[in-house]
Amino acid sequence: MIIKEIMKHKLTSISPDTKLSDAYRIMQEKNIRHLPVIDNEKLVGIVTDRDLRLSTSRLAVHPFEPGEAVKNIMSHPVKTTHPSDPIESAAELMRELKIGCLPVVEDMKLVGIVTITDMLDALLLLTGVHQPSGRLDVRLSNRSGELAKLASLLAERKVNIHSILTYPEKDKTVRLVLRVGTIEMRTLAEAICNAGFEVIWPVQIACVK
Amino acid sequence: MCEIIYHPDYKKYDLGPGHPFDPVRAEMVLDFLEKTGSLKEPLKPEPITPEDLEAIHDKSYIQIVESASCGKNLTEAEDYGLGTLDNPIAKGMAEGARLQIGGTLLGAKLLIENKANKVLQLGGGFHHAHRNLAAGFCIYNDLGLAIKELTKEGLHVAYLDLDVHHGDGVQEIFYSDENVLTISLHESGEYLFPGTGWLHELGNSMGRSLKLNVPLEPFTEGDSYLEIINGIVEPALKWFKPDALIVQAGADAHFSDPLADLMLTTRDFENVYKRVIELVDQYCNSKVLFTLGGGYSITATPRIWIILYLILFDLKIPDKLPEDWRMQWQEKIKKELPEFLHDPIPSFQPIPRKKEIERHNRELIQRLMDAVAPYWI
Repeated sequence: MIIKEIMKHKLTSISPDTKLSDAYRIMQEKNIRHLPVIDNEKLVGIVTDRDLRLSTSRLAVHPFEPGEAVKNIMSHPVKTTHPSDPIESAAELMRELKIGCLPVVEDMKLVGIVTITDMLDALLLLTGVHQPSGRLDVRLSNRSGELAKLASLLAERKVNIHSILTYPEKDKTVRLVLRVGTIEMRTLAEAICNAGFEVIWPVQIACVK
Repeated sequence: MCEIIYHPDYKKYDLGPGHPFDPVRAEMVLDFLEKTGSLKEPLKPEPITPEDLEAIHDKSYIQIVESASCGKNLTEAEDYGLGTLDNPIAKGMAEGARLQIGGTLLGAKLLIENKANKVLQLGGGFHHAHRNLAAGFCIYNDLGLAIKELTKEGLHVAYLDLDVHHGDGVQEIFYSDENVLTISLHESGEYLFPGTGWLHELGNSMGRSLKLNVPLEPFTEGDSYLEIINGIVEPALKWFKPDALIVQAGADAHFSDPLADLMLTTRDFENVYKRVIELVDQYCNSKVLFTLGGGYSITATPRIWIILYLILFDLKIPDKLPEDWRMQWQEKIKKELPEFLHDPIPSFQPIPRKKEIERHNRELIQRLMDAVAPYWI
């Protein structure tokens, strides 16, 4: 999955001279938290709702006034990502810097924005239920061909795989969570168990050895 | 006034030998009632036409199902969930399904015309059929069509789904409908097909807070299940005050069901059915239509539905199963039937996590009631 597939194309941006009060109003109206700052078609900074709140707080040493320009408080240079970057690299960057958004820049131009919300949507798409399906949780040994063996077992039974999620475990095994298009999970799990796989869910599957 | 609806041709909705959705289940119920002299002559429904289905399914989908049922366009059918392990293409299945849907629809009409107030449709319950997708043994959604028939008359309808799987198809059809309250009790989608039915699925726009889901922990037992009925179903019906209740009475929450993990016994089902009927008389204008549904333990499911019929018709529940009935059906289903109608006590080994499961389910009641509280005013 790449950034282009999950980014928002419609953008609301402001200029360096936009007043803090106007930036605040735009965020409220559009229900957004990040505003890219554009000058001469170039991305020069970014302002978040947190920037606005902290800079104007009465608790700040020198609080900014609502009429001042955003260029005084914006973050720059801006960390950005590219439309063809994989989403995991963007996620790593956001996690590392503890930031909530990355503007997407191509050919020096701002073309989109990716926020934590888009990342969560992507996670839901990867793990979520999008078709009626049953959940199969299997432990595989970390070798080539294991998944192929499992997949062909499902294909033989005319069971469609809707999603596959896999993550490594400590002891050289891999957990595989499949969402498959069948209600008859137990019989399927039994067959998988008999083929030598360790079935975690459904539980209490008796293998007919 | 009670009625039972059935047609011998219901069995044409047969997805092949060995398929768990077996028409023999209803036949066993009928034969028991006949042999014990407790059967009221069933009303025979007419099949509905493919056009009638356009109220809830897309025309293109109906055409695909109808032609697949005649053995045509089989490759295209796979895009619509047909020709899979769960929904194999069986000749005449569309016709069989349409007859069963006619039965559920007849039930709705009896309620509308005040010809009956308690109806058991000995078929139907196809709650997984979506607008454009066959799933979980279901191709056409009889419940959706029957509910539409009732709302067309301006009635408010509550739908209670007791099947162990989430009633996703019915919920989807009425997700924004302010005239329909849907409540589904099921094993959590984390563990069981179809993977939906979460607490936060509360309905959209005008239907908000009218779609309730209770994703139960695996190995939930009868007491905890009844707590949910009292803690969620009762306040919901009391608040919504429907003109009629439709119940999908799938029997697959039974402990011996091979497809799921809840632990209800026949006695629990008896208590649940009795409680539901009390609620119908109290809050639902005394009108209820029960349909069948899941239930894949072939030795338990008919006993559960027999109990349902006897309770609905206010008849005595016998201890023993008639010997001739047992002998006859044992031979047919090639499985031993128990001597008694009810399960033995105890029916299974104690569940080690019982306390934790009960606590979890109680929290579900609290969380769901908190979520709907701002709307239920």
